Amino acid sequence: MSDQVHTLVGPYVLDAVDDLERAAFERHLRDCEACRAEVGELREAGARLADGAWSVPPPRLRESVRAEIRNTRQLGPPARVRAARRRWPVVAAAAAVLLAAGTGTAVYQVQDQRVRDERAAAVAARASEARVRAILTAPDLVVREEPLNSGGRVTVATSRLNDAGVIMLAAGAAPAGGRVYQLWTIRSGQDPASAGALGVGQSATVRIVEGLPGSSAVGVSVERAPSSVTPTTPLEALVKLT
Amino acid sequence: MAERGIGRRPEHLAAVPGPEPQPDAGTLLAAVARGDEKAFDRLYELVAPRVYGLIRRVLRDPAQAEEVAQEVLVEVWRSAARFDPAQGSATAWVFTIAHRRAVDRVRSEQAAADRTLKAGAAAIDTPFDEVADEVAVRLERRQVRHCLDGLTELQRQVVTLAYYHGHSYPQVAELLGAPLPTVKTRMRDGLIRLRDCLTTGAVA
Repeated sequence: MSDQVHTLVGPYVLDAVDDLERAAFERHLRDCEACRAEVGELREAGARLADGAWSVPPPRLRESVRAEIRNTRQLGPPARVRAARRRWPVVAAAAAVLLAAGTGTAVYQVQDQRVRDERAAAVAARASEARVRAILTAPDLVVREEPLNSGGRVTVATSRLNDAGVIMLAAGAAPAGGRVYQLWTIRSGQDPASAGALGVGQSATVRIVEGLPGSSAVGVSVERAPSSVTPTTPLEALVKLT
Repeated sequence: MAERGIGRRPEHLAAVPGPEPQPDAGTLLAAVARGDEKAFDRLYELVAPRVYGLIRRVLRDPAQAEEVAQEVLVEVWRSAARFDPAQGSATAWVFTIAHRRAVDRVRSEQAAADRTLKAGAAAIDTPFDEVADEVAVRLERRQVRHCLDGLTELQRQVVTLAYYHGHSYPQVAELLGAPLPTVKTRMRDGLIRLRDCLTTGAVA
């Protein structure tokens, strides 16, 4: 996985990755000093490209910025652990908002296969950006990814601090014949619980799952529409969380 | 003198005397982290044209660019204390924030398909050379242009489509009709060649 993730170093430095890929890559960086050094050097080079985009801003920009910084409190030097703890009430509030919005809003239709990753990321960013970001930027984030038997991949990012996870499905194609992708959370000793099914013709989704770190695995199966109470076909992918 | 204490060093001892010294961005940013508004003004002089220019190039909309540039510059003020010199230069830190914000704006504002269409048009309308061509006054710009010219055609395309157009690597792959692994690899080795050129070019 490490080597696989590291192939993203170029896109990462150029900000050409989506949120999940960025989270996975930054996770990878935490454990790899040589990789951090490489990113540092490439970022220096990448940032020099800004030299090629020199353009004098309107004079009022300076005044606006000056006015705003007078009313902007500065952050202190980093204190990561405390910052993470302070996020808790905010995260709980965000979760409540999300639940109030209803589970139906958590699945998004993605029609354009060619840009499915990007679209799913963009839609998720709009719909529940704050929550997704809170999870994906958690200091304890763990990202796991498995290929689907039918092509594409499923990525699962979990944070115990947030007691939540994000499942991102980006399949190669939607199942044919009135069948749909369905997501499952699996706890040892229990039957798989549905984490929602996609619509007919859908091949991608981004879904926030509360309590996901308590599960031992996430599964993906193909079921008859609209959904099934239990997986009836062999899993397309199984992402182990423990 | 003694009653001034250690914490409040007199101005005339802090500054190097003689002709106006040219502090680098790192020195200025450290002062900004301590709430020094004058230092912020000088840092603004140094980086604002590139912050604004970069965002404008990515967004292709002067009004939005101004708004995002303001956010970025205020963010520089707000989080100056979070800059860690061990991780890289101050200018790279600032331009990284600027680029990321510009890209975030692009991705959240427009539907991906719509953007891909526009991107296709932009890629056709705008020769890649234009990137470094419109500005050839400053040495840095000449150097970047020179180093971009030193990349292979594909390296240059993937780097500029991502950096100046804000495209994700799958979008770049689609625009160029190239396989994803190739695009990822060319982005990396393009940056490596750029780095090598910029570091040796600085001496020349």
